[in-house]
Amino acid sequence: MRVPFAASHRALVRPIGAFAEPPPSLGRALARMLALWTPLALAHAALTVREGLQAYGQLRRMGPPGWMSRLLGADPETLWELFRDLPAAPAFGRIAPWLLVGVPIALLGTWIHHAVWDHAGLWLLGGLKGRRGFKTTLVAEAEALRIAALGTLAGLLGFLPGLGAALAFPLVLLEGYLWLFRGFALAARHGCAPWRGVAATVVHAVLLGTCALGLAGLMLVLLRVGP
Amino acid sequence: MRRVPWIVLGLLAVGLGLGLAGLLAPYADLLPGCAFKRATGIACATCGLTRSVLALGQGHWGEALHWYPALALLAAGAPLAALWDLRRAWRGDPYPALPASRALRFGAWLLLAGIWALQVARGI
Repeated sequence: MRVPFAASHRALVRPIGAFAEPPPSLGRALARMLALWTPLALAHAALTVREGLQAYGQLRRMGPPGWMSRLLGADPETLWELFRDLPAAPAFGRIAPWLLVGVPIALLGTWIHHAVWDHAGLWLLGGLKGRRGFKTTLVAEAEALRIAALGTLAGLLGFLPGLGAALAFPLVLLEGYLWLFRGFALAARHGCAPWRGVAATVVHAVLLGTCALGLAGLMLVLLRVGP
Repeated sequence: MRRVPWIVLGLLAVGLGLGLAGLLAPYADLLPGCAFKRATGIACATCGLTRSVLALGQGHWGEALHWYPALALLAAGAPLAALWDLRRAWRGDPYPALPASRALRFGAWLLLAGIWALQVARGI
């Protein structure tokens, strides 16, 4: 019996040998990435929006929770007034069609973004040997992101009632590993040592994300543990 | 064979993003700030970048230069990069590979460290 995501799971557990086969063409790698990642990302985005709308409605009705006032350093009464005057949120049904357009664009944007910054990181670390160009990086990123879509699937577990807070930390750890995992694909396809590929993703994170990742992590933790 | 000017397309997308960011500038105070700076008391390598992006989105070049000089200089050089990319695409030339020179890579590291040191020294 064929177990779904078994190959992805194997690749994540043994990343060094995961990209030993000849690389696919760019079009095939991209199509395979989108075919697997898009439905999962759509489900994730739909659940996020639905929960976001519920939280927004709750904020308007009941005012900000205490931790939010403390975090923003604002007067609770002023915040309460601000939230009460906010317009009503649109219905989920009005936003959902936009997700069908926005999510695939966001996935393509993520893919290109990762490719550009990882490629720059790999160059900074001297990993671009053999004169394999940016196209090689695009293929490697598409292959890695297809496998890393398993993380999006795991992220859906965070929406199960009662599990969100409990899974927050493991999911952050998984996200961290999936970030580094791209480095193994980069190293295999560019023919450099795995540490260079992994370090390239770290350089990417440090260069671009010192602030943004810290912020995102902070926001994620707050969202998961908030009432 | 004509080629796609990907850099120009990227710059157009970035320009659109900057314009949208400018619209969000009035809400910038709601951002909780840099977690790295909050934890260590030292500016991170990208401290000032958000404020610089918001300033650029509003067309405030001086302000953008103050918050993150490297971004403002890159933005000022963007038209040159766009012209080079259009010429390359028109002539059908592929993108050149990044240089394999160790000195250039070392220079790039120094530049990045310099940008960070500048932000730390100015207390951004």
